[in-house]
Amino acid sequence: MSQRRPVGARDLTLAWDLLEGKPTLRISGWDANDLSTMEELDAGEFSRRLAVVTTEAAEAAPDLADNDQLPRVAGSFRIAGDSVFFVPRFPFVEGMSYSLLLYGTPSSGHARVPEVRNIRRPSREVPPTARVEAIYPDVSSVPVNLLKIYVQFSESMSEGRAERSIRVYREDTGEPLEGVFVPLDPELWDPERKRLTLLLDPARIKHGLVPNMEAGYPLIEGVPFRLVIGSEFRNAAGSPMLSCAERVYQVGPEVSERLIPNRWQLTVPPVGSRDPLLVEFDRPLDYALLQRSLWIEGPQGNPVAGGARSGNGESSWTFAPDLPWTEGPYRLVVAPELEDLAGNSPVRVFDRDITQSESASALADGVSLSFHCSGRRQDSGRGQ
Amino acid sequence: MVDQANALEHLGLTIGSPAIKSVGPLAFGPEGVLFIGDNVGASIFAVDVADTAGSGQAASLDLENLDGSLAGYLGCGRDDVQIRDMAVHPDSHNVYLSVMRGAGDSAIPVIVRLDGRGTISDVSLENVAFSETAIEDAADEDDPREVSRVKLRTVTITDMSYVNGLLMVAGTSNEEFSSTFRRIPFPFTGDTSSNSLEIFHVSHGKYETAAPIRAFVPYQGNNSILASYTCTPVVQFSVGSFKPGELAHGKTVAELGAHNRPLDLISYERGEDEFLLVANDRHPLIKIACVDIDQQGALTVPDQSLDSSPADPVTPPVGVPRQLLPQEGVRRMANLDGERVLMLQEDQEGNIHLHTYTVDQL
Repeated sequence: MSQRRPVGARDLTLAWDLLEGKPTLRISGWDANDLSTMEELDAGEFSRRLAVVTTEAAEAAPDLADNDQLPRVAGSFRIAGDSVFFVPRFPFVEGMSYSLLLYGTPSSGHARVPEVRNIRRPSREVPPTARVEAIYPDVSSVPVNLLKIYVQFSESMSEGRAERSIRVYREDTGEPLEGVFVPLDPELWDPERKRLTLLLDPARIKHGLVPNMEAGYPLIEGVPFRLVIGSEFRNAAGSPMLSCAERVYQVGPEVSERLIPNRWQLTVPPVGSRDPLLVEFDRPLDYALLQRSLWIEGPQGNPVAGGARSGNGESSWTFAPDLPWTEGPYRLVVAPELEDLAGNSPVRVFDRDITQSESASALADGVSLSFHCSGRRQDSGRGQ
Repeated sequence: MVDQANALEHLGLTIGSPAIKSVGPLAFGPEGVLFIGDNVGASIFAVDVADTAGSGQAASLDLENLDGSLAGYLGCGRDDVQIRDMAVHPDSHNVYLSVMRGAGDSAIPVIVRLDGRGTISDVSLENVAFSETAIEDAADEDDPREVSRVKLRTVTITDMSYVNGLLMVAGTSNEEFSSTFRRIPFPFTGDTSSNSLEIFHVSHGKYETAAPIRAFVPYQGNNSILASYTCTPVVQFSVGSFKPGELAHGKTVAELGAHNRPLDLISYERGEDEFLLVANDRHPLIKIACVDIDQQGALTVPDQSLDSSPADPVTPPVGVPRQLLPQEGVRRMANLDGERVLMLQEDQEGNIHLHTYTVDQL
């Protein structure tokens, strides 16, 4: 045995393996005597012999000879059979290269400068599948004080890429429009990470604030803009987008008026039918809030079960009851948080001028519109 | 650990493995309980980090390329490390970071602990004493008004602070624009909605809006709050004005100019005086004396004459006097021990460094 040359890092084989079902880095090719010697070492001594670091960190480290200062990957070593296993505290990353640093074996003696062996974790090629399904508002023209845009993806997405993936350009000149959105930190996603909310910079929308006075609205009235959702987004599995998406909007005048449901047109279905109630708004409303801010209460004041849908361009809403309409008074209830495209709600304008009494008028608990189902179809727009 | 749990029973903590899906804002509460904001899971966790090993003596930490070191520890690339927040344990003075490793399905939430020598470890989140509260009351599945409506609303916590039995939480909704500011009693009782506040601020005495709060800090013995908004105003509130179910009105005391976002706020004392630091994404670090906030009336018209250091002629700040500090790229701050302040600073290349400054240096 003493005739053999000492085993060094060059004799070792690195491989990805499982130990007790957990992904590990298997280090094999050891001299049996070395291994039994190493088995006796405590964790501190062991880590003076062996270290696993990312290759990125190994290359950035000022001095690998300084074993105490190594940016070690969190984890522990285990000896099983003829191999040493490195069990990472956190899973290995696909496509990432890791380095084993060997400061000599028991038979070769301690080495000040380690021998380095690298191994790359395989990566899977995942075909792109994600795409943008819709961009809201679903209208051709938005007010210059537009507050929100929603981007609906076809599947769950990874966070952290919105900032670099979303661009806005002037449609007339092609120049980029800067500072349109609030920095996307944190990004605002729905629970499934399929819908992203973009907030146009409210500091530039709010009257009287310095950014509004200095830089003006993020959009320019009369100048259409193109929103581009770049392919830099990744889905939750990390694969790229099928394609980028874009939408062009015309930019119309500011809207700074409370929502006034009395102006809405109601088409009331006849008693005995399950035809939908149709509500037509006087302006497009916020897509997300529209999905949950309207409901119907029946003659006894109870919410009516049924199916609600927002119409094209978020300019209308229909509600088909599960059971036929009955004779009697109904109410369309409007939640106070419902907003139009500029953040105006039934209870307040987006930013109210407190020196103007008319804009200061605010209702406490939202509003409702009454309608009466009778024997024939009717149009009405009454409120209370 | 079981003894620890018994010791923390009065805080409503039980032993288990909190199902934390993501880590975001951090704040320490009583007896070394760490509050962790989980925006993916829409919850706040209170975790006993069982940190009794520290010497209690705070150490000045200066760690270059902290994000690179964290990447090494977590076995990932630097791009896969997102440091979300920083807090200091009130007794051990160890530094805690909320870190997300990776993104999407493979993202892993990690609470990193840095001891006084800068050694990296992470807090086990298995078999620990913890409790949990939902950010919002769960929707009633049986409510017929919810028919045909998919639950798409979320609240993203942007900052938290614990004061006298109340965890104060600022958040941003992905649907409504208005402010979400909650006071959640701790130990958690499940009661959050009754303490939700709608906070308005007035700009220049004329316009009033609700808006999400990005960061805030209690000061003046927790009687006041200074809050920064997603829309740049810095606004002062009296804690006494927070009445559940009522509107709270704040006083806009400063505006920091266009294309800038306040990122973090802390308070510290030097001698008899209390100061606030405001970290910004574009503008320099700003120092404000609390006494000046008291003396500052609500902004009525943009007034540059009040500014003690007109630095940037393109975006003249208005309001309370302030001083610009030289620390660059400050992303998060924490008061280490009353004498020193920690800052996470990002350099031009995007690398993150941790530095310690004494209050005399500020």
